[in-house]
Amino acid sequence: MERRIGVYVCHCGTNISGRVDAEKVAEFARDLDSVAVARDYKYMCSDPGQNLIKEDIKELGLNRVVVASCSPLMHEPTFRRACQDAGLNPYLFEMANIREHCSWVHEDGGMATEKAKALISAAVRRVYYQEPLEAKEAPVNPNVLVVGGGIAGIQAALEIADSEHQVYLVEREPSIGGYMAKFDKTFPTLDCAACILTPKMTTVGQHPYIQLMSYSEVEDVSGYVGNFKVRVKRKARYVLEDKCTGCAECTKVCPVALDSEFDEGLSKRKAIYIPFPQAVPCKSVIDKRGYPPCRVACPAGVNAQGYIALISQGKFREALEVMRRTMPFAGVCGRVCNHPCETDCERGRIDEPMSIRALKRFIADYELKVGREKATPVELTKEDKVAVIGSGPSGLACAYDLIRKGYPVTVFEALPMAGGLLHYGIPEYRLPKKVLDNEIDYIKELGVEIKTNTPVRDLGQMFEQGYRAIFIGTGAGVSQKMGIPGEESNGVIHALDFLKQMNSKGKVSLGDRVAVIGGGNAAVDSARAALRLGAKEVAIVYRRSQAEMPAWATEVHEAEREGVQIHFLAVPVRVLSQDGRLTGIECIRMELGEPDDSGRRRPIPVKGSEFALDVDNVIIAIGQAVDRAGLAEELTYTGWGTLSVDPGTLETSISGVFAGGDIVAGPADVIGAIAAGKEAAESIDRYLSGTDLRQGRPNQITRVKDVVKEGVQQQARAVMPLLDLKRREGSFVEVELGFDEKTAIDEAKRCLGCAACCECLECVKVCEAEAIDHEMQDETVEVDVGSIIIATGFQQFDPSVIYQYGYGRYDNVVAGLQFERMSNASGPTGGEILLTDGRRPQSVAILHCVGSRDENYHKYCSRVCCMYSLKYSHLIREKIPNAEIYQLYIDLRCAGPGYEEFYNRLQEEGVNFIRGRAAEVTDLAETPEEKGRLTVLCEDTLIGRQRRIPVDMVILSCALEPRADAEELAKLFKVSRRADGFFMEKHPKLDPVATMTDGIFVVGCCQSPKDIPDTVAQASAAAARALAMISKGRVEIEAAIAVVDEELCSGCKTCGPLCPYGAISFDEEKKVSVINEALCKGCGTCAAACPSGAITARHFTTEQIMAEIEGILV
Amino acid sequence: MRYYTYFPGCSSSDGGAKAYNWSALAVARALEVELIELEDWNCCGSTPYTSVDELASFCTSARNLALAEKRGLDLVTPCSACYVILSRTNSSLKEHPELRAKVDEALAAGGLEYHRMVRVRHLLDVLANDIGYDEIASRVKRDLRGLKVAPYYGCQVVRPGPSFDHPEFPQSLDRLIESLGAEATPFPLKARCCGGSLIISEEDLALELIHKLLDSASSNGAECIVTVCPLCQTSLDLYQGRVNKKFKSKFNIPVLFFTQLIGVAFGIEDKVLGLENCIVSAEKTLAKYGGR
Repeated sequence: MERRIGVYVCHCGTNISGRVDAEKVAEFARDLDSVAVARDYKYMCSDPGQNLIKEDIKELGLNRVVVASCSPLMHEPTFRRACQDAGLNPYLFEMANIREHCSWVHEDGGMATEKAKALISAAVRRVYYQEPLEAKEAPVNPNVLVVGGGIAGIQAALEIADSEHQVYLVEREPSIGGYMAKFDKTFPTLDCAACILTPKMTTVGQHPYIQLMSYSEVEDVSGYVGNFKVRVKRKARYVLEDKCTGCAECTKVCPVALDSEFDEGLSKRKAIYIPFPQAVPCKSVIDKRGYPPCRVACPAGVNAQGYIALISQGKFREALEVMRRTMPFAGVCGRVCNHPCETDCERGRIDEPMSIRALKRFIADYELKVGREKATPVELTKEDKVAVIGSGPSGLACAYDLIRKGYPVTVFEALPMAGGLLHYGIPEYRLPKKVLDNEIDYIKELGVEIKTNTPVRDLGQMFEQGYRAIFIGTGAGVSQKMGIPGEESNGVIHALDFLKQMNSKGKVSLGDRVAVIGGGNAAVDSARAALRLGAKEVAIVYRRSQAEMPAWATEVHEAEREGVQIHFLAVPVRVLSQDGRLTGIECIRMELGEPDDSGRRRPIPVKGSEFALDVDNVIIAIGQAVDRAGLAEELTYTGWGTLSVDPGTLETSISGVFAGGDIVAGPADVIGAIAAGKEAAESIDRYLSGTDLRQGRPNQITRVKDVVKEGVQQQARAVMPLLDLKRREGSFVEVELGFDEKTAIDEAKRCLGCAACCECLECVKVCEAEAIDHEMQDETVEVDVGSIIIATGFQQFDPSVIYQYGYGRYDNVVAGLQFERMSNASGPTGGEILLTDGRRPQSVAILHCVGSRDENYHKYCSRVCCMYSLKYSHLIREKIPNAEIYQLYIDLRCAGPGYEEFYNRLQEEGVNFIRGRAAEVTDLAETPEEKGRLTVLCEDTLIGRQRRIPVDMVILSCALEPRADAEELAKLFKVSRRADGFFMEKHPKLDPVATMTDGIFVVGCCQSPKDIPDTVAQASAAAARALAMISKGRVEIEAAIAVVDEELCSGCKTCGPLCPYGAISFDEEKKVSVINEALCKGCGTCAAACPSGAITARHFTTEQIMAEIEGILV
Repeated sequence: MRYYTYFPGCSSSDGGAKAYNWSALAVARALEVELIELEDWNCCGSTPYTSVDELASFCTSARNLALAEKRGLDLVTPCSACYVILSRTNSSLKEHPELRAKVDEALAAGGLEYHRMVRVRHLLDVLANDIGYDEIASRVKRDLRGLKVAPYYGCQVVRPGPSFDHPEFPQSLDRLIESLGAEATPFPLKARCCGGSLIISEEDLALELIHKLLDSASSNGAECIVTVCPLCQTSLDLYQGRVNKKFKSKFNIPVLFFTQLIGVAFGIEDKVLGLENCIVSAEKTLAKYGGR
């Protein structure tokens, strides 16, 4: 068909014609191919202008139209409609932008005119190829999602819900209310913010058409206008909302206090808390931040933060209860654990780590002191009997966990006493027997049967006796040999034998001079024990230097204080004896060479450095090995001689037989053995109940990430008091004396409470509604909505980055919101304006534009600071009538109903207005008047002078800035942001709440800083827009979309992942890509990427684009 | 070995701050840094000259940059004023095409051209960020533990505009002092003005500023002050006597260039570092530490 194109050049008043010669351009257009008519007109968008087009279409039979005027963002819909009215398909219209692209941006009129011609030529060539397209319609889901529960979100939600349409209100915090709930008064009317807000909050909470999802976040948005699918993550509150009555009993018993977000850090809240009394919903929430580092570091996962928090409250019994939820050895581990928890303690990054081990010991000692009630036997709910072989820490820990799971457990011990090396390997002065026995008794009282003097020789027999599963924890009880001449002489004794004899008989006969070989704890224990047993001279011979010594540094130090000599870098080469009697050892000096596999430097003998030590006894403590005797032959062993097990499940080569502790790991630490026992208990439970041994193991735990350390005062850790040296002679009385109550409480208070909730479960005990569930998991819910209103608000600029204002460095420099809380009657000071020392300030400076109107931070004006600063002045004046108040401003912007009047009122109240941005706040006094106060330095630009203003308090009127995660939110909702970071509206003047994504609206301070009235007005506007969509019931879907030519599509699937709107799927039957017309936005990415040219972007075909380019070039 | 083009500036090469030049070169050598003096360099453009004839000042300054560009290395200067002026010339030429045209014309007359490719660096920036504190710490031979040093940055080295350190609360010199084993004392006025050339025109005002600095340093327990600027050193050292007279104070605080203190810690001889050039002698203070 013949093309008849009409071209219309707009003057836009003088906007275009002031620079572009519109008449000449029209004249030029007239001569272009296929142009039937070309006209210029003053305002093409006016009715007469539109009528020109309509009439020409009808009378001249135009079948294509080009308008050269402004941006299509402005008037494309207008002209498309005009075409449609005249019976022309709107997609046969094209627009050339000769205003923004020509007249407004070029100074040279001639050049601008030439460019306009080129653009029109391009449009004419392009429109020639344009095809009629039909727009489609889709129904609108009448539900609305409101994101953000501040005043903006509340208002929007209520407006929609009141018209009886379903609203989902998603709020990230535990309560709705936003910043407005924190405010004291609102300007300029001085209404109480809470009084006007809380009725609305309550209504939201109870509204039948509002589903409030607090403590939740939007995770994903898909779909399109009228039909969005939204995935919401409901963060675990750890409190069942339907059961919690808001009685707050739980908050009273919670031992963890944290800075209150609601009070801007000016007061404390508990780890389980209700943010503020009028919170909606008024339900508790638990602040969990992962596992504390101490708990992560502990191989057995002992909840140190839990019992430390309770110790700080004086709840010692409860603390021990927390301990026993994991394992029974508070007293043992409180003495001999190598405490990896302390190494990782975050407090150590400030000054010194917590004395976690000593605190653990304290709660055990406390129980011994005040007496323990007999433990109630566990009800045995399982029938399968379990045998535990060996009553060391791993065996007992395993038995302890199994009995608590309801299994009948019998422990078999070859020796007369239970406890393994805890009993036979550690001297009394380090681990008193009564401490160990108390803990073993506790295990027995729970129902564990311990058969002593009962060695197990045959595993098969155990199964025959009816045991369904077996745990082997027989340890590594054989001393290693040195392999030197004379080692078998009389008078040479191995450390384990020595310690065992001492621990069972109470004495060992030794000569006056004893040498101990080795550098581990067993060596140091032996040396110190030998002294106590009466040896006059005791020396340790160790082949490396002190730095490499595996024994605890404190133990080595105490040994030396007690008189033990240590020969470092020496090793025995032969045992000397005469007439069958030991006379000494010959040693050789060593030097350190390159590091070996353990990372420690390898000792190398120094030739010719031999020397002799005259001794009567030699105790060898160079290591322990596993005793294989008596265990089943089918068991397999590693090259190290230890038992080989599956590392994940601790199962041995025999099904149903598990093992852990030193027998598997080699001689190691107590807590590792306990951890292995616990792990085996888990395996045995799974084995006996027929569930998978491996699934979900090891337990995935998240260590708490950032631990706040700001503002923590340095305080050294409590020192363990020790027994006087003199009283240690010949005595096995315990050397470490333990903390007293006060020391323990003070030390416990040093804990940073890394994980917030310490899981002590005190809250569970007091909750009568049984609403607390510490095991709760995050949940994801999906909702279908037709439109989305984003009301995510702002955040306060962090003034500490402006170093010179001293926020965070000086007391009494407060940020705006902090003052707001301080002034609030329900705030931390009960509404009193106070300095940190409790005095009332007699002078206050209020600094405007902190972070606003500042090239370094935010260039924009935050709009509300002038007014709220004035409000602060008034509140101070009201509460401290004679206070001097200074306002340091750049300009005062008081535009709004009653705002200027409020400013006048403040002037009359006698506030000092100083025009000039504050340069600095300092505590360096230059005059006596400035001493002990804060001095504000500024230039008073009205009097043209530099001034120093001494005050008691400085309030920083901080900027409102986009929330830290605004960028992610923008991506999530596919809305754009302005350069300042706030969400961008569709048009700054005429479409202030819509966004470029249809069906998504932005309201309140997430769009730009604004006051409450403007926020509420926007919220109502967005609600109206959403309701309009609902009431119309359908939406038009863009016709300019991509289409797949199934004949050409090769099924390569290149396009699918590229589509930013998820509109492309793959038809597995036809093996072609399919585009969902409703989701496609016509961006053309797929069309550009398609290697076989099978995808066409409608309205942007290659033909059309090439013609357009040609039009510009010719 | 690292290489830089070196711009000593007039104070350090011929003026009163020769010791700065000597110690900078000695420390650089110890750190395997080759400072290649810019051939045929001239005045940096100078702070006061800018107020008298801005264009001439920019042209003077740009000549140095044009010369430095030929070699392609970063241009390092120990003088804060040179650093600021040369940096400003660089940024002004980038931002103002009209100025650029004029300066280009002047350079062309001298057979030079400048494409604005030279990065201007202060020696403190190079030592702190290119060499690094660990490297410096590893070269320390003399134990200065216990020596309390006030780190004085002066007003220019971190201002104006984005620089290598915080404009109000710089840290690099503090950390550098600590990497030597000495203790950097709190010094709230560390980035304040020393009075500079005001000592010539407004002596009372300048002495008041110097007095504040000395007072703040000594009341925070500093035994010596370390500077990164020839003018600052002169103000605090040379005029300390005048301050004492005017304010009836008894300050006796040695004021060292930071390169001198590094040199001392590296065990470089006093003479090489020009320590005897200090008006307020540092001998007694330094003798207390690291044994000599």
